[in-house]
Amino acid sequence: MAISKEGDSSPAVQRRRFLALLTGWAAVAWTSVSSAVAAVRFLIPNVLYEPSSRIRLGKPDQFPEGATFLEELRVFILRKGNSYRALSAICTHLGCTVNRVASGEGYFCPCHGSRFDANGAVTSGPAPRPLYWRVLALTKDGRLLVDLNEQTEPDKYLVV
Amino acid sequence: MNNLFELWKRIERSSIGASVFRVGFPRSGLDRARAMVSSFFLHIHPARVNRRSLAPTTTLGLGLASLYLFIILTATGVLLMFYYVPATEHAYDNMKDLEFAVTAGQVLRNMHRWAAHLMVISVFLHMCRVFYTAAYKAPREMNWLVGVVLMLLTLFLSFTGYLLPWDQLAFWAVTVGANIAGYAPVIGEQVRFVLLGGNTVGQSALIRFYTLHVMLLPLAVAMLAGLHIWRVRKDGGLARPDEGPRSAVEEFSGEDVPQTKTYGLMELAHGTTTAVGAKPEDEVSSWPHLLFRELVLGLAVLAVILALAVLFDAPLEGPANPVKPPNPAKAPWYFLGLQELVAHSALWGGVIIPGGLVAALLLLPYLDRSPGGVGVWFSKERRTATTIFTVIVVTLVVLTVIGSVFRGPNWAWQLPWAVTQSVH
Repeated sequence: MAISKEGDSSPAVQRRRFLALLTGWAAVAWTSVSSAVAAVRFLIPNVLYEPSSRIRLGKPDQFPEGATFLEELRVFILRKGNSYRALSAICTHLGCTVNRVASGEGYFCPCHGSRFDANGAVTSGPAPRPLYWRVLALTKDGRLLVDLNEQTEPDKYLVV
Repeated sequence: MNNLFELWKRIERSSIGASVFRVGFPRSGLDRARAMVSSFFLHIHPARVNRRSLAPTTTLGLGLASLYLFIILTATGVLLMFYYVPATEHAYDNMKDLEFAVTAGQVLRNMHRWAAHLMVISVFLHMCRVFYTAAYKAPREMNWLVGVVLMLLTLFLSFTGYLLPWDQLAFWAVTVGANIAGYAPVIGEQVRFVLLGGNTVGQSALIRFYTLHVMLLPLAVAMLAGLHIWRVRKDGGLARPDEGPRSAVEEFSGEDVPQTKTYGLMELAHGTTTAVGAKPEDEVSSWPHLLFRELVLGLAVLAVILALAVLFDAPLEGPANPVKPPNPAKAPWYFLGLQELVAHSALWGGVIIPGGLVAALLLLPYLDRSPGGVGVWFSKERRTATTIFTVIVVTLVVLTVIGSVFRGPNWAWQLPWAVTQSVH
């Protein structure tokens, strides 16, 4: 490319200079933006080695009347006669594990003091949402199956 | 003594010595200036420094103390890396090894922990000093911004380091912290997912926090700290009040000198006259006056850290148990003011108030454009600004103290001296 004399401002030189600047800056912008996008996308994992959210439990009659806390899964299995429900023990505030109050009616979170009633609704404290109810199903061999990601309503029971 | 001095002179003058020490031990004023300018390690200093900048009450040495703590943290951190494996099945055992099986392991870990806590304190106090002496005002606005970013990086460094021992405290503090990030509008959930590398705190979160803690964040702090110190020089040294006539020419001619030409004299602050706000008689050579004070402060900081590390052990709770939160589950102490707010409302305590405070800090030098009070502690001209800032600082400290010692199991109010059993 010929080097124009300083002060040469003919339209041809101006256009050439404009195109050169445009190409140069476009290259710089393309390089930085695409690298940044690739780096951010790289940080979002495609495969998670987390446990499956669908977990097989024991036979329904292995669970006693009332509440059973499955510590590893952070879920309560609630039995009333032949109907079953599953309540997540993960506090909706900041993810601590809620405890069942001693009297059996309701739950509280030890981290920031949120309280929930027997149906998981917030009665006090900073939690913004009720506790999550999880979907229960029966496997072909007659065992309970809980899905720790699927949500349901507190009035949905699995009747065995 | 004399012989040693002679020996040193001979080393200095030998062909090898002269290739290493360009100036030699400086004995004249000129050599002192040359020593400062020509040494890679010293040239970030000015050759001569204003007496006022040397007075302990000007800065209380807080910025430099923070730098020394960062250096101590880097040195002890690199040593700890020789034993630490960032894997969920090894991390906690490594802590126990450092405690019981590695010579000086416990002391190094203690030094790292206490230096981290002290760095949070010294960086915060440094910011308060800069505010109360109005040192963020023109032309130092940009350096205030760099300082705010450095403070945020310090907190993030501390937070990422918090997870590494993989004990109960680590696990639950990070679970709570990451969920607070999830409350941020629009991108909160994605930020949380990327930070943890998944949905829960596990192996991916540990390696991400480790990489941030030992590589990315220290590099960022080192580079920004370099920029921060360099800007102190380029912005004309430490902030100090205007000291009368601005140049010798003005002083002696009694005329206004046209302020059109810019002088950039080596080792003087640049400006529109040859002597910017600094009378030569108020300056002393940095060698030895500044270097001596820096050395004393460095030794003092190291002495305090060593004493703390010998006297007090860094806490280590039981191994991380994802299903059993401790009661109460507490974040690191410097986040307990936020946790106290979060206990009332996650959105306000986790997003709106901290976000608003950071935004206010970043905008401060552009909102407060009055030139008054620069370089003076609690200047009367700035009563309103001083009051607002003090109220915020006191509130933050009170909330932190409440969260730290007045909160027991279930985050219930409790007097610090009440003995309670942990409830699970």
